[in-house]
Amino acid sequence: MKLRSDLVLRTIGSDHLIVDPSQDRIDLSTVYTLNSSAAWLWEQLKGKGFTSDTIVDLLCENYDVDIDQAKSDAEILLQDFQKQGLLEK
Amino acid sequence: MNLTTSSELSQTRYRIAESILEFNHPVNYPLAQLLPSFRDFQWLDSSDKTDISITVSLAKAPIPEDLGTLRTDESIAWGDRFRFYEKEDTFITTISNEQGNGLWYLQSDRNFEHSTLYVPTSSADEQGGVITWMAMMIFGQASLLHNTIMIHASVVNHEGKGVAFLGKSGTGKSTHSRLWLKHIPNTVLLNDDNPAIRITDEGVLIYGTPWSGKTPCYKNEQLPLQGFVRLQQAPMNEFEWQTGLKGFIAVLPSCTSIRWNKELFSNMNTILEKIIAQVPVGYLKCLPDAAAAELCHSYLFSNE
Repeated sequence: MKLRSDLVLRTIGSDHLIVDPSQDRIDLSTVYTLNSSAAWLWEQLKGKGFTSDTIVDLLCENYDVDIDQAKSDAEILLQDFQKQGLLEK
Repeated sequence: MNLTTSSELSQTRYRIAESILEFNHPVNYPLAQLLPSFRDFQWLDSSDKTDISITVSLAKAPIPEDLGTLRTDESIAWGDRFRFYEKEDTFITTISNEQGNGLWYLQSDRNFEHSTLYVPTSSADEQGGVITWMAMMIFGQASLLHNTIMIHASVVNHEGKGVAFLGKSGTGKSTHSRLWLKHIPNTVLLNDDNPAIRITDEGVLIYGTPWSGKTPCYKNEQLPLQGFVRLQQAPMNEFEWQTGLKGFIAVLPSCTSIRWNKELFSNMNTILEKIIAQVPVGYLKCLPDAAAAELCHSYLFSNE
């Protein structure tokens, strides 16, 4: 899977966000906020194909987590990305 | 023998927030007279590069059978006379003429750098109104390529610094500006509806434009931007600074960009991100009274 290439992660002070312009007739553009680890992962993953394992590896290499924790965190993050439509279809 | 005259175009140029907007129009078309709010912005130096060009044509509009995808038909200014379409690499804007027997037809490239406007049967008043509005819509998009955002705000000039009041239509932006003019010494209006903001090496500047809503205030002036204040009507006066994300979200809805060109939309967000890093944002719950203006002033100019 791949992150949507039209979305840009932005940093304002210590906050991270993504603005998704609504393409409907009605303007309901959405602002997503990311915590610092999700924002870091976004930067690592953007522009390339990845799987759940890619995220698990990134988490294990860079954070002090065991593999089970990393797997469950990766699953939650992916579900969020999927649900909010941040992945390419 | 003067057979070519009818197709000859002349140029009328304006400089708005440092961007050069050029109209190409038939020699005998009285463009400058139709656009009185642009008078202060006329730019006579023809050596500068044109940033945005609008060709005004009196020929019959080449309206295709298929106008493309209807993106929106919502317009506060034009009601149901307005349509906006995306077709391949162009955007098409149409407004029915007043008589209801013709169409204003505007064809723009994706970034609104080049547009052609076809003029239907219409009075001089209608021509002035529509061309002024079309130019605003075009400028709002194309300026995003030049580190410039047009925003919906009423702006005061207090001792050489600009303060931009934001809020939904009907919130009382103009009313709050007027309270400053009346109760805060050394304050005048810069623009009442559509100023432009530009990032420069010297900081963030706010510019008057030829567009100012119902208030005729078309000043070709620029000021350092002291702050944004989002207004909300309330039964009391209360000011709160909005930092980081909250500041960004407070200003975002007042910024201009079409959503169907994702590069322009992304440019808008990038420019806003940079502006928010430099300019403070406040949130003012307020009554329409002198105390509201005084409270707001005390926060924005507390160090002076």
